[in-house]
Formats: sequence, structure tokens, C-alpha cells
Amino acid sequence: MSGRIFAFPQGKGSTVGSYVIYGLAKRGVGPAAIVNSAAEGIIAVGATLAGIPLVDRFDVGGLRTGDRLIVDGTRGTLELPDVRAVHVVTALLRNQGRILIVRRSEKVGSFRGRWSAVSGYLEGREVPKTRAVREIREETGIRGAIFRAASSPVLARDDATMYVVHPFLFDVPGRRVRLDWENVEHRWIRPTDLDRYDTVPRLRDVVAAALSTSNSKSPTRTRSTRRPRPR
Amino acid sequence: MRLTKSQRHLLEGGSDAQRQAMRILLALAKLSDADRLIPVTGAHVSGASYKMIGDPGLEFLEDAARDARVVIPTTVNPLGTDLQQWQDLGIPPEFAAKQERIAAAYERMGVRPTYSCTPYHLGTRPALGEHIAWAESNAVCFANSVLGARTNRESGPSALAAAIVGATPEYGLHLDEGRRPTVVVNAPVRPRDLDFSLIGLVAGERVGDGLPFFRGFRGSESDLKWLGAALASSGSCGMFLLEGVTPEARRASRRGLPSISITRKDLDEARWQHTDGTDADLIALGSPQLSAEELRDIARRVERSPPRIPVWVFTSRAVREANPEAVATIERVGGRVLADTCLEVTLLEHRFGTVATPSGKGAHYLPTLCKQKVMRSWTRRRGRASDCPVEFSRSRREREARSAPT
Repeated sequence: MSGRIFAFPQGKGSTVGSYVIYGLAKRGVGPAAIVNSAAEGIIAVGATLAGIPLVDRFDVGGLRTGDRLIVDGTRGTLELPDVRAVHVVTALLRNQGRILIVRRSEKVGSFRGRWSAVSGYLEGREVPKTRAVREIREETGIRGAIFRAASSPVLARDDATMYVVHPFLFDVPGRRVRLDWENVEHRWIRPTDLDRYDTVPRLRDVVAAALSTSNSKSPTRTRSTRRPRPR
Repeated sequence: MRLTKSQRHLLEGGSDAQRQAMRILLALAKLSDADRLIPVTGAHVSGASYKMIGDPGLEFLEDAARDARVVIPTTVNPLGTDLQQWQDLGIPPEFAAKQERIAAAYERMGVRPTYSCTPYHLGTRPALGEHIAWAESNAVCFANSVLGARTNRESGPSALAAAIVGATPEYGLHLDEGRRPTVVVNAPVRPRDLDFSLIGLVAGERVGDGLPFFRGFRGSESDLKWLGAALASSGSCGMFLLEGVTPEARRASRRGLPSISITRKDLDEARWQHTDGTDADLIALGSPQLSAEELRDIARRVERSPPRIPVWVFTSRAVREANPEAVATIERVGGRVLADTCLEVTLLEHRFGTVATPSGKGAHYLPTLCKQKVMRSWTRRRGRASDCPVEFSRSRREREARSAPT
């Protein structure tokens, strides 16, 4: 990995991991930089000991081996000069434990025939949530959707295009859907059944992100979300 | 991030080691959204066993020892073997030599050569509300829960950085809100001796990184040591509360918390889950290291019923030297009292296949760290006195039955 940027979701294991990173760098065979999705002590300490720039809170699921990256460890920024970013919103609609998925028509510009959640391109300086609300109305005809949660973007890669997906979760009062031209079919499914459908890239991660943020019912007590694991 | 003038000075004009220590603390502060570093009165560093940290750790520590010096009282975790007995144990000379270099590096940094995972047995007992920076999960759990001191679960390097700077990022268990319970654990199981380790193992698995509020039993300081050590091994808890016993339990609010129960059946299941051998060739006592009372208790027992297989007892050097009679008793029946090392970080696998231990922490780590079978067997309960003829503390009922006139 010498001279290359090492991207992985997060570190795991014992403290010796920090020392290994230190040893690699000392011998000049360490990575040029590290990119993580989630921040974690072992890697952060190792990178600090080794003097390796580290950028975290970046969804590494959007990166491909061989990508060119510009990492600035001081400012904590990361650029992909060869990739075009396209911002989209995805509104996950929930009704009594089921979520809405729609099949994209042959008239849309991308991912024709694949299953997706309600989504749309962000235009100009538009506020993502406003766009999400508008897409719900246009694509499903549903009114009275109640905003529940927004989560940090998921990166879905399609060759030289990076879809920066902003996930939103809404609860809706009913299941009546009136599709517009963008979609040809709809279904209310259990989130666990998503695997059975041919979906747009990373839809499962987008759904997981939207649903995970909604579980914290009491924002005042931060630790209360950590429920005991069921046996 | 707010830094004091002296912290800023260390970061910008300190020695290499001071600058590096500051950078580690700041990186961790950033991860946990801490906005300042607070002074700590003491540190306990982990990562001293060559078996655990290997050559990369040795290299780092020797580099650091060139100019790093601790500025607060600092103790350190057990080594990978007893450096005064390694030849008798069949430890490879290369292992012992590297282990000695690790110890020497820590001593050059000014770390007290305690080589113990139980600093709280050695006079290091921070007071209620005192901020410290401890690594070693059982010690962290004991300090937070039983003593009411405040520390996060530090790693080796982060505790060392805190020792060099004299401060630690303020987040988590240093703050009142980080010390609130997250789940109520009812365990009306009338625990005795080994049950405390089992409660810890079961609760840790279910609570994960939460903060359990236990109800339904009581225990001595020694009982809570075994409970906490197991809890911090199977879960990643840094603290627990026990109703009517631990100092901060009374003020803790349980309103609106989820609650779970632990039954006798759960404890039995946990015991079998951690047993995957039948014929142990070593009985290992310790993990965490035994206190003076526990060591003397073991000596009395092995004298009464000498074990059929070797017994290794792990304790600190200080406790070993203060109790020569107990040590002599154990050695007379073929046992060994090892100091400066402990069960889960010591080199065993070169000699033993299956180890019997009553320690929940030992049972949790042995299979993962040593690739060995672990067996926990409880003599009386299973009626197989040959397997593990020593238990930790016999229950009061049994003691009374024994001393009662017939």
C-alpha cells in the first residue's frame, strides 16, 4: 500500500493495530493517506503516531480501487478530480413498518427498469429536504407526509459519476399511490425484503441509513439508543 | 478545541514525545467531540506484554522512551511472563529478552514497574469524582464503578499520552451525562463466588457498550472486581451501577430505561458456553491478578485438598513478596505463583492445551488470544472434584456448614 491511499470503512481489533501503522510508516511502506467511513481510536492513534493524513466520516462505499484522490488531512477534506458529483435526494416513505419502492420507467435518464425509492435530482442551490417533499408529491401524489429524519449522504458510484444521495425518512398516513411518468410500478415492502429486488446502486445502504437515524426517539439522552442486543 | 496556555506550549514547543502525545489526545478529542483536555491525577497504561504488542509495540515504546517522560503517577499492565521465573516456565529466551526491553522502556519513561492489572489492589485508589486516565478494561470498570473515579476506556497509547501531558479529553465517563445508566439488569440469583463472573459475562453480551444498573443482589469489593472484569470483556462497558452497593447508584435515575433479567438458567448456559474441553492440564487463577486476601485464600484451599494438575496463580510482585507463606504453601503442592504477568497476556500455549479457570475474563479471552481450549468447571456443582479442585470464595452457607458442630 506504499504510496497509495488506503480507504476502508473502519478499524477494528486491538491496540497493536496502532503500532503496526506506526511501524509501516517508519519503514516507508505505510499508506500515503487513510480514508475511513467511521472514526475510531485505533486508526486515529496509529495515523497520528505515523504522521499519516487521515480523513474520516467519508462514505468509502463510493470509492473504487484505482481512483485518484486528493486528501487534505489538516482540513479534513477529500476530492475526486476525475469524478463528477451529482446530488440527489431519496425520500423513504414508511407506513406501518412497510416502505415504498418504485420501479423506474424507460423514459428516465438513468437506471431504467430498476427499483428505487422516491428520488430526484437536486437543482441549483435548492434545500435537499424541500426537494424531497416536492418529489413525494410529484411521484406519488401523497400529501401529509411527516418528516422523520435526514441522514448523512450515501455515495453511490456509477463509473465516472458519483451520486451523492441524501436520505430522508417520512411517515405517510396511507398507502394510496398515484405514479407519474417517472415510474411504472410500486410496492410496499418490508425493509428486509429489499434484497429480492433489482435496485439502483446502494439502495439498501440508503434505506438502512434513513431507518437507523429514526430509531433515536429521545434526542435528549444520547446513550439511550444503545439498547441491549437481543439474544 | 480550547487549550490552556501550557497545553498549547506542549503542542508547539514541547519535545517530540510531548508533541506527539498532544496530537494523540487532540485526535481522540476530535473523534469524541470533546472541546477541552482536563487534568488527570494518575494514569494506568496497558500494552506491556510482548505476546500482545509484539515487535511493532516494542519498537514504538523504545522510540518513545528516548525522550518521553510521564508527569503524573503512572502504573502499567502485566508483562508476558514472570521475568524472575521465565527459565523454569520454558519461555523462549528471545521472548524473555524482548519482554525485558519493553519493561526497560517503560521504566525509562518514569512508569512505576507495577506490571499489574489491579492497580487498585496496590494502593492506587483514586477518590470519588477524581479524573484519571486508565487503560485495562477491568481496572477501568473497577475505578468507575466501585471507587467512583472517572476514566474512559483508554488504550495503551492514549493512556501513555495522557501520562506524558497530564490531561485527557473530556467526554464520555468523565461527564455526569456519560455516567447515567442505560439499562436496568435484574439478577435476583443470589450469586456466590463464580456467579459474579458469570453475571458479568451474560450482562456484557447483552448490554454491549451500555451502562448497566444491576439490581437484585449484593457483593463484596472482590465480587465486584470479578463481575466488572467479565462485564468489560464480553461487553465494552466501562462502568456499572449496583443498587445499594456502588457509590453512584443512589443518585442514578432509572426512569424510562429498558430492563432485562438474568436468571440462574442464563448463568448455567454461560458456564457451558465457555467450556469446550473436558480434561484440563492447567488450573489458572487470576485475570485479574489476585489480591493478597485472594492469594491467601487459595493457599488455604490447596493445602486442604492438593490439586492433581498444576495450578498457576497470577498476582502482582508486591502481593507475592508480602505473602511468602502463602506462596510457599502453593509451591509445596506443585503450584506456581507468577508475578508481573497475568493469565490472558502470558505465554501459555507452548505448554498447555486446556486451561481451567474460574475467571470470566480469562474464559472470555483464552480461546481468542491463545487458540486454546478453555474449560471452566465448578467442582462441587458438577461433582467432578478431579477437574478443578479450587474455587474462589466458598459461599457463606458452605463455610457455615463446614464449621457447624455435627
